[in-house]
Amino acid sequence: MDWTWFHKWGSPKWFYELSGKWLPWLVGAMVTCLLIGVTWSLLFVPQDYQQGLTNRIFYVHVPVASISLAFFPLMAMAGTIFLVWRMKLADVVVKVAAPLGAWFTALALASGSIWGVDTWGTWWVWDGRLTSLLLQFFLLLGVVSLRTALEDSEGAARACALLSIVGCINVVVIKYSVDWWNTLHQPSTNFTLATDQANGPEIWVPLIFMIVAVYLFFAISLILSTRNEILQREKRAQWVMDLVAKS
Amino acid sequence: MKVHRRKRLGVILFVAAGLSVAVGLTLYALSQNIDLFYTPTQVAQGEVNAGQRIRIGGMVREGSVQSAADSLAVRFVATDYANDVPIYHEGILPDLFREGQGIVVEGSLDNAGVFQASRVLAKHDENYMSPEVKAALDAAGTAPESAATRPGT
Repeated sequence: MDWTWFHKWGSPKWFYELSGKWLPWLVGAMVTCLLIGVTWSLLFVPQDYQQGLTNRIFYVHVPVASISLAFFPLMAMAGTIFLVWRMKLADVVVKVAAPLGAWFTALALASGSIWGVDTWGTWWVWDGRLTSLLLQFFLLLGVVSLRTALEDSEGAARACALLSIVGCINVVVIKYSVDWWNTLHQPSTNFTLATDQANGPEIWVPLIFMIVAVYLFFAISLILSTRNEILQREKRAQWVMDLVAKS
Repeated sequence: MKVHRRKRLGVILFVAAGLSVAVGLTLYALSQNIDLFYTPTQVAQGEVNAGQRIRIGGMVREGSVQSAADSLAVRFVATDYANDVPIYHEGILPDLFREGQGIVVEGSLDNAGVFQASRVLAKHDENYMSPEVKAALDAAGTAPESAATRPGT
């Protein structure tokens, strides 16, 4: 098997140049999806038969909550690549994804709380779903502080990669918490194509725009912070000096 | 893939698999304690002692809600359609509280078997629709049954 495509990713310079070309397209797509999604979900989605307007926080909460579950699998993948192939770029991703993931998890917790106070009648309850997501928040903070706590940067990178792999177990727990235990949080919604049923297209089509927008926002944030970290780490490399001299 | 890399990958997979099994077994052992609430059937089976602070989850039985005229006191029955628990609460109820709704109450059983709730929380299920769709489904008698409002699941 030809591994050149894979080894290309080992070059931070190659990634820096390639991602610079992607960014304008990603930003354009995100702004488009966000405008459509926000307008549609705030103004045109029918009010819920039980929750009325409160239900619209759904279009923020579901996208940020679903993306927050992607961080540990992403960091575990990058961490495994770093541990096995010693690829520098993979460690950069583990490093910059952790604080981003903590932010997205915090947004999911906050939007859920605001939804909860209006529907459940409480900001917080220690059920399986809420507690396991809070645990993920602290695990991500743990990855961030592990990096700064260890002085040996190679050792810190390895420790963070391992903790990222371990953290994936919690993602499975978060996902299935609502099925395994009884919780105050609702079980997963099953969307349907039928227009005359609950959870039909009038509910989920605008949600798709919001999910794509939030995923693109995540990709853009990740790329921007990865590029930043690359410049930091390669600041003594000739190509970075050339770049600085040019600007 | 080079041999030392394959070996490293093997070690990582082994560690991950071992940890997953350990966490899985722990969660399995704890599963009773992670549940947020007891069901009325568990209460009827005597799993709960009077005075013990617990949560009970169930549906508000249709026609069981009696509000006091001059205070915030309310009596209703929480049911899982197999067993009932009478509930007494003084305070503000969440907006979603209504008959037939899933709720979780926090408090303790008194010696007469009435649950003195200090807090009432409303569950909402995983079905979202407009009032028009809901009315059409009700007319056809095919409103979706939710796992969230079936207590004990």
